[in-house]
Amino acid sequence: MLVDGGGFFPEDDLHQDVAWFLMDSMKLLGTDAVGVSEKELRFGASYLRAQIKRTDLPLVCANLYFKGSKRPVVAPYVIKQVGTVKVGVFGLISDKVPLGLSQDSLYVEEPTAATRRTIAELRKKGATVVVLLSQLGKVESEDLVSAIDGVDALVIGHGVPMMQKGRMIKKTVACYGGEQGQYLGRTVLSLDRTRHVTTGDNETFILGPEVGEKPEVLKLVKTFEDSFNEKLRKAEKEQIAKVEASKTPENADHFVGAEVCIRCHQDEGDQWKTTSHSLAWQTLVTVKKDATPDCIPCHVVGYKAAGGFQTGSDAAKLANVQCENCHGMGTQHDAFATAPRRITEQTCVTCHHGENDPEFNFAVKLPKIAHGNTSGETIKHMKNPANSSMMQGHSSSTSN
Amino acid sequence: MKSLVTRFLTGTLVAIVAWLVLAGAAAVRKDPIKEPDKLVILSTVDVKGKTSPCG
Repeated sequence: MLVDGGGFFPEDDLHQDVAWFLMDSMKLLGTDAVGVSEKELRFGASYLRAQIKRTDLPLVCANLYFKGSKRPVVAPYVIKQVGTVKVGVFGLISDKVPLGLSQDSLYVEEPTAATRRTIAELRKKGATVVVLLSQLGKVESEDLVSAIDGVDALVIGHGVPMMQKGRMIKKTVACYGGEQGQYLGRTVLSLDRTRHVTTGDNETFILGPEVGEKPEVLKLVKTFEDSFNEKLRKAEKEQIAKVEASKTPENADHFVGAEVCIRCHQDEGDQWKTTSHSLAWQTLVTVKKDATPDCIPCHVVGYKAAGGFQTGSDAAKLANVQCENCHGMGTQHDAFATAPRRITEQTCVTCHHGENDPEFNFAVKLPKIAHGNTSGETIKHMKNPANSSMMQGHSSSTSN
Repeated sequence: MKSLVTRFLTGTLVAIVAWLVLAGAAAVRKDPIKEPDKLVILSTVDVKGKTSPCG
């Protein structure tokens, strides 16, 4: 069976369309149950319920209610028949996080009581396997199944670091799934003749390019992304006037762009052009993410900063990972020319961090782009951006 | 005549034995229908509005 632990809605209002799109995609994938976090409430409970009604996607949460009617906002659980096995799946949302727009109209029941009640209901209805989609975070989720028996498999979300191997907590197999759709947890439960769980194991896999695509989902993703990127581009143009009005005064520190640096640092500029940093922008253009705010900062100079990249119209001057991404603002040149600024790991991990580049190794990667290296090896090893698609990881040896 | 009775009884005995064997075999086939002994759960979490990597 296939489940999603929740936390799939986008983190900013600009990307609201992604919310319904992901629900469509999960439905198409045949997802059996989906958890709920406060992210799914960011556009209001009415929006969420309307999308559930439209898609018929089974979102579950056993401790989320309307304050007035005391009715559950979504179904507390689902019971799925998987072959001859009855599997009960329920969700939990944290009672310690604000609910945004829904703060005044909804309330969250304390998770322990909801868990005891739901497990009893599921068992009474014949479920021999119980799965919990928890948005309580790592510690609280682990504490919960340590205190309460009856959960066979636990999918933990809400800022949980990815762990390749899951853990056995008493009789519960816990899965620490990672985030941003880059990983897939695989929990295998062994069953006895009565379809009850005897033991289990979990492992989490990165969804790299070698993982096959479902053609109809791939087509859906590409169609959506292309149209959504255009929508973002239009929204961006509408902001240009505001940006123009808030231009940085000439005398304040700001980014200047590589062209200015290369006037004096010709050799370094020539070497930079042999690295994948000099092609970082094109990788976004190729996959039509060049208007996606989540992606742009690591592919341009000084995104939304003084003198830095503001909109697509700045691409000619400030696209790609340039001199100032590593060395700092050009207007601070005098300061770092007298006391040369060393490139530290901290410089790189602003972009090459866990989510974007889980295999990044500073000691290995720095020599590949160092100014003495003109081998062009980073470009030779770039992945084909055309291979990027839904649920694939962010390559460790790509453009940024 | 005796020979015919003997043959009849022998034939009946053989038929009964055969029936018992076949019935036993059928019972063996019916009993342990292979039950699934594994449940595999695939999961994602905290997708955070991502549809694909940036590039």
